[in-house]
Amino acid sequence: MALAAVIRDDHSAPFFEASAEGRLLLRYSPSQDTWSDPAALVCATTQADDLQWREAAGTGHLVSWTIKPGRRRDDVVTPDTVIGIVELDEGPWLTLQFPDAAQADLAVGRAVRVGFIQPEDSEHLPVGYLA
Amino acid sequence: MSERTTGTAIAGLGMTEMGKVYGKTATQFAVEAITAAAADAGLSLADIDGLLVNPGVKNDTDLRLQSSLQMRDTRLLATIQGFGSSAGQMVQYASMAIEAGMADVVACVYADAPLKEGKRSSDAYPGQARAMVGTASLPFAAGLKAAPERYAVAARRHMETYGTTSEQLGAVAVAARQWATMNPMAQMREPMTLEDHHASRMIADPLRLLDCCLVSNGAVAIIVTSADRAAGLKQPPVHVWGWGQAHPGYVQHRDSEFGLVTGAAKSGPDALKMAGIGIDEVDLRQLYDCFTFTTLVTLEDYGFCAKGEGGEFVASGALAPGGSHPTNTGGGELSSFYMWGMTPLSEAIIQARGQGGERQVDRHDVVMVSGNGGVLDFHSTLILSPHQKGR
Repeated sequence: MALAAVIRDDHSAPFFEASAEGRLLLRYSPSQDTWSDPAALVCATTQADDLQWREAAGTGHLVSWTIKPGRRRDDVVTPDTVIGIVELDEGPWLTLQFPDAAQADLAVGRAVRVGFIQPEDSEHLPVGYLA
Repeated sequence: MSERTTGTAIAGLGMTEMGKVYGKTATQFAVEAITAAAADAGLSLADIDGLLVNPGVKNDTDLRLQSSLQMRDTRLLATIQGFGSSAGQMVQYASMAIEAGMADVVACVYADAPLKEGKRSSDAYPGQARAMVGTASLPFAAGLKAAPERYAVAARRHMETYGTTSEQLGAVAVAARQWATMNPMAQMREPMTLEDHHASRMIADPLRLLDCCLVSNGAVAIIVTSADRAAGLKQPPVHVWGWGQAHPGYVQHRDSEFGLVTGAAKSGPDALKMAGIGIDEVDLRQLYDCFTFTTLVTLEDYGFCAKGEGGEFVASGALAPGGSHPTNTGGGELSSFYMWGMTPLSEAIIQARGQGGERQVDRHDVVMVSGNGGVLDFHSTLILSPHQKGR
């Protein structure tokens, strides 16, 4: 299953500007020195309201995953889709599709590197690669 | 929690035909269920002065149901939306309103009609429809859209952490089906084995088709009133001994207990404390089972077994007919019908009254009922009994 197209809004514009350059931004609270996921409106740990965008390392580890089986319809074969929750080194979780991962390679704690793919008519979206 | 006087009781239960029942709207199902619930209690629609309406995923009915019922001078009226925790919530709000003197007889109803003739069940809930705009859409864009894949991620985390297996999840499904074979209202009454579970197609690894609940059209309504008034009505009262709610608020962040601990861990003990009993005094469990995993993790969090031992517990046969912990005795959402929290609540009422027929469990003095909504995000608990509390 291909990544679905996502378009930006005012909140996400900086995130997608960076993703087009291969950089991952997260929400950061300077007063609390805490990180939150890209959709957070207030801090995930302290509820501080001074979040700003800050570049993250783009690395983390696998927390959990599912595999949606591929299908064959009219001789068109859709491959399995691996979707995982990744805990970034800064703390926030991201839900990412893993374009190249095989089931046998999935394990809790496996190191993950965040990359980016641009679906048709979409912003560049983060995806996961097993390191 | 303040001292309660006589308390409240469930005095009426109305259930429409459920499953692949076409040609009716959610509102029509709701009117039918409420009318049946009132008749079941020995009341008329004119006796109802409170109405709480829980629309399902399709959101096709709401508090305007009052007009469809031709109700006038209603003293309590609201749409309640706590997803799968709604049924338990409605009983709680109805009880508080009755005890506050705000209303005397409150009808609570769930109604939905997602199935369309000629369409597959999987088309009924195609996943949360939302425009793919902004960073909040990223999980959906990645493919985490519908309930099965979202619960699959939760189940996988539990499996990796505690060693829970697909076979153990299958044991939950088999036990539910064993009960369903004795329930005339169940949609799935054919016997089912673990082999059938393992042979069913994978929906979202690790969840197979037979790990997933049914999809049903229909409605269930109940009538809540004071225990004193219920005592003079047609049916044996089912007393509300205790309740709780807990909504864990999983943040997308390190230390999240998503998939490991649910709101049941807080809601259950709160309800037991209010009821003044311990977990060992619960005779029956009617648990929200949108997926087999939900049953397993709820049993752990309520304390029927230790955290992480839910797999062994369910595989022991504890939940099935003749088992040590009869659970989901109507077949649950997995095999009976999917009316959100009204599935476990309706079976709790039937069992507490002693009206379970072939599937009636001998010991039914205390019934624990769970409601679960979102992806383990929202939880409600009820403790019900055919006996008035403290007597």
